[in-house]
Amino acid sequence: MAHFEIKDLTFAYAAAKDRPALKDVTLSVGRGEYMVLCGRSGSGKTTLLRHLKPVLTPHGKRSGEILFNGISVKQLSERDQAAKIGYVMQNPDDQIVTDKVWHELAFGLESLGCDQKTMRARVAEMACYFGIQDWFHRDVVNLSGGQKQLLNLASIMAMQPEVLILDEPTSQLDPIAASDFLNTVRKINLELGTTIIITEHRLEDIFPHADRAVVMEGGCVIADDAPGRIGKLLYEQRSPMFTAMPAPVRIYYGAGGTGESPLTVREGRRWLSDVYPDGAKINALPEIQLPETDEEPALILKELWFRYEKDSPDIMRGVSMEVPKGSLFAIVGGNGAGKSTTLKAICGINRPYRGKVRVFGKPVEKYRSSELFSRCLSMLPQDPKSLFVKKTVREDLEEMNPDKEKVMETARLCQVEELLDSHPYDLSGGEQQRAALAKVLLTEPRLLLLDEPTKGIDSFFKESFAGILAELKARGITVIMVSHDVEFCARYADMVSMFFDGQILTTDTPQRFFGGNSFYTTAANRMSRHVFRHAVTAENVIELIRLNEGGGE
Amino acid sequence: MKRSRILLLIVLLVVVPATLFLSTRLPGRSYYLMSAIVALEILIPFFAAYEKRRPQPRELVTVAVLSALAVIARVAIPLPNFKPTFAVIMLAGIAFGPETGFIVGAIGALGSDFFYGQGPFTPWQMMAYGVAGVLAGFAFARGRLPRKNWIMGLFCFLCTVIVVGPLLDTSTVFLTLSKITWSGALTLYLSGLWVNLTHGAACFVFLLLFGSVILEKLERVRNRYGMMESDENEDGV
Amino acid sequence: MKRAENDSFSRCHPAVGIVFFLGAILFGAMIMHPLYILASGICALVYYCLLNGVKGIKTVAVLLPLVIVIAAVNPLFNHEGEHVLFQIFGRPYTWEALIYGASLAGMLVTMLLWMGCYNAVMTSDKFITLFGKAIPTISLLLLMVLRLVPNLLRKIRQLAGARKCIGRGAGEKSTKRQQAVDGMNVLSALISWALEGGVVTADSMKARGYGTGERSRFQIFRMTARDIVLLVLLGTLAAAVIVAIARDGTTAEFAPVVTAAPIRGLHAAGFAAYCAFLILPVALHVKEAIQWHISRSRI
Repeated sequence: MAHFEIKDLTFAYAAAKDRPALKDVTLSVGRGEYMVLCGRSGSGKTTLLRHLKPVLTPHGKRSGEILFNGISVKQLSERDQAAKIGYVMQNPDDQIVTDKVWHELAFGLESLGCDQKTMRARVAEMACYFGIQDWFHRDVVNLSGGQKQLLNLASIMAMQPEVLILDEPTSQLDPIAASDFLNTVRKINLELGTTIIITEHRLEDIFPHADRAVVMEGGCVIADDAPGRIGKLLYEQRSPMFTAMPAPVRIYYGAGGTGESPLTVREGRRWLSDVYPDGAKINALPEIQLPETDEEPALILKELWFRYEKDSPDIMRGVSMEVPKGSLFAIVGGNGAGKSTTLKAICGINRPYRGKVRVFGKPVEKYRSSELFSRCLSMLPQDPKSLFVKKTVREDLEEMNPDKEKVMETARLCQVEELLDSHPYDLSGGEQQRAALAKVLLTEPRLLLLDEPTKGIDSFFKESFAGILAELKARGITVIMVSHDVEFCARYADMVSMFFDGQILTTDTPQRFFGGNSFYTTAANRMSRHVFRHAVTAENVIELIRLNEGGGE
Repeated sequence: MKRSRILLLIVLLVVVPATLFLSTRLPGRSYYLMSAIVALEILIPFFAAYEKRRPQPRELVTVAVLSALAVIARVAIPLPNFKPTFAVIMLAGIAFGPETGFIVGAIGALGSDFFYGQGPFTPWQMMAYGVAGVLAGFAFARGRLPRKNWIMGLFCFLCTVIVVGPLLDTSTVFLTLSKITWSGALTLYLSGLWVNLTHGAACFVFLLLFGSVILEKLERVRNRYGMMESDENEDGV
Repeated sequence: MKRAENDSFSRCHPAVGIVFFLGAILFGAMIMHPLYILASGICALVYYCLLNGVKGIKTVAVLLPLVIVIAAVNPLFNHEGEHVLFQIFGRPYTWEALIYGASLAGMLVTMLLWMGCYNAVMTSDKFITLFGKAIPTISLLLLMVLRLVPNLLRKIRQLAGARKCIGRGAGEKSTKRQQAVDGMNVLSALISWALEGGVVTADSMKARGYGTGERSRFQIFRMTARDIVLLVLLGTLAAAVIVAIARDGTTAEFAPVVTAAPIRGLHAAGFAAYCAFLILPVALHVKEAIQWHISRSRI
């Protein structure tokens, strides 16, 4: 018997009756299965997941039925569904209810009215299993995002659920915390046999472990197969979801492969080794050189030193860099390395105690505040919501510039025209990002700073975002971007810098930068570096494979 | 009459006078603490009523959020005493009724003292902040007063200056005067007046600017959790 | 906060803590006898310094001169008493008023110190342990507030920072009006943000079965045999003090002459009980320090 059985589920929100969010969804999930649900935002993934847990099911018109262990979910008692169906959401912070780690772990058990002895045993068990002992007594405020999300997971696992539903659980985490989290999920699936149903953007980390991938679009299931075969279906359907597949899958089918695709870098390497047993004839693409200019750089940082307090450690330890005018300049590096602090120093919010910041040739402290942030410099913060203070997007944009013409033009550029009358908080993550960008652009900056612009947004939004950045570049705007997103930087940046230990260590073109790294680089590069040099994106690799095929004929 | 109201009357008419009588019989400066105990007694019926109602998670979270905002309101604006704390509490009272208004205020004060230090004044603060919520809740219930920005603002200003501020000053009277005399008390009330006026002005400005916007948001929450069915529409999709 | 973790009394069951502090503060307010006040003051001072370390000593260094100032100033306004020390501004400066002022100031400062100790020892989880059963919903609310406040503080800094980086927020140089309006803008945005987050929190509570039935409470503190012994001890000592109060062993008059109840016989026992009651946290702390010292020196 299947664990979950969804039959002909159709659902429309009360607010949009004629546009169903789910259409005839039929799906069954086996006991102990690890299922990935993919699809762009707005495809109905979350709506579907919420139907699996009745207390979270949205209002609206619905037909069809959902069985859990053969019984309709509606007939499950509230206690049963609380205990048996675990649900982890996106935002690590907001899911936490209490102020202490131990209390949060026990919260679900308290709700179920467990007795003291059982609670103690379960809490102890969970703390050990998830490695929480060391921070058991801490306040939740002092945890990192990754720890918070792990706590959310542990607190649900303490209730010993049969099914674990995860709705984009890592979208707010940095790559290292995200892969830690996903490994834990995998461990739960392997060691406890808990059924996993997960939606995720980071398919690279999940596909190798998953039993099944289900792809949704427009509220329908459009593909449902093993991860190794799903790419082929999508490629043949020319589905936009194909671009969200892991790099090895995209390269394999992009280069004309048939049958089951490699899923991991390891499998991809093996495949390439088989294709080129004696190495490839053409093993590198022509190098892209940035044109040399004598023009003054848009930004110069010289030996910046900064710490937050007198006794705290230095965050910036001699940061120096030059950003050429009109370039898209990416800064990558680990968490807490000081990247965001550097951006704030450029804005003049953090004042370095040594060193110089020159914006367009003029020291930043010589600018008056009104001068600096008008037609000169502007920053998009990590959380786009931080910029919204008004009721509608339009009002928020008009706060920056009362000129309606200008507002409309910027809204068009950022593709938010249709969203102008919505409340900023009703937008999806990607839309918020673009609306916030529009707000920032209304100061007409010549130097634009972006702090983690791709955090938590899916591959389609990333592409449209990159399109906007290209348009800005064409207008001569210099963009500096701080990011964890190696793939995005490799694909779109002109220059990449590595930030480590409070300093900029290396700066180079993405081709050479990622080509030269062996660990901190893209999946495509890791997969192909033994046959190709400096191929950093999936497109590079596919092009090289095509070139070699052409040469062979 | 609701049972919670009966309990409130018993407390006000029997328990509080009894405590006051007892305090005159005790030696030393017991009135320091007896005043705090009276404040505590006034909290009891409100708390009991709230516990009995078993509020749903959505309401509980909203109350917590508003209480936390009342704590935060004193940090948001970097001007001394220009704090719209009571405005937040009164909005809660207007949107959710006097009982919930009281809870938001009382928890706001208690939470705030967990960060800034508790003392015998804590029950007084809880009561005074709570009263702010109750007054607003009663005044704007069932359309008694129109929920217009300037009316809410003015009401909040008057409440702050006439009722809530002096209530807080009363705890200062009990806790700091070496001998409670009318002239001593009057000096304290007068010296507190400027602070109360500034508080009130902050509340007025805040409600004038954002009163109905925030009220709208709160009423959206209220109407949702009032439904019989599960109450979510948000989906992140 | 860190020091409280190393304090033996802080690690006792919260019931012990609350009984102690209620006793210390109630007795402190009821008893005007100068010797009692002095005893309570010394105990509070030592414990406060043990809990707060160097920072505590600094605070005490500010408070002590305060006592002296209040004591010295009181006779300027209060002229009761027979023993005139000298005349000032044509009014008598009396010994009785001086002692009365000193007692009063000592009492106030002692209260402040005990409240300081209370705040360090009785953390939110202890508060919840004590009141969680009587007011479960209110306690949960309090916990949620305690979690939200630091979150909101962080967010408010984020909002203000983000606005500054697009040249909109108010800086130090802005006018008061700008600061006020911008602060209000930020606060209103914060409310939207927090209510939005609340939707998720509520879902998370529902997903974990909140409201499906009677809640139980996870007890992080366990009542040990030692806690019970301490409770009995505190109870007995408090009873002895109450007897002393009831038999007028703690009274003091400051006018026309200073007359305090003599500490003799049964009253001496009451006073001893009072001192023993108040010294308990310090005694536990010191005992533990000595034990560690011995066990370390044996290695």
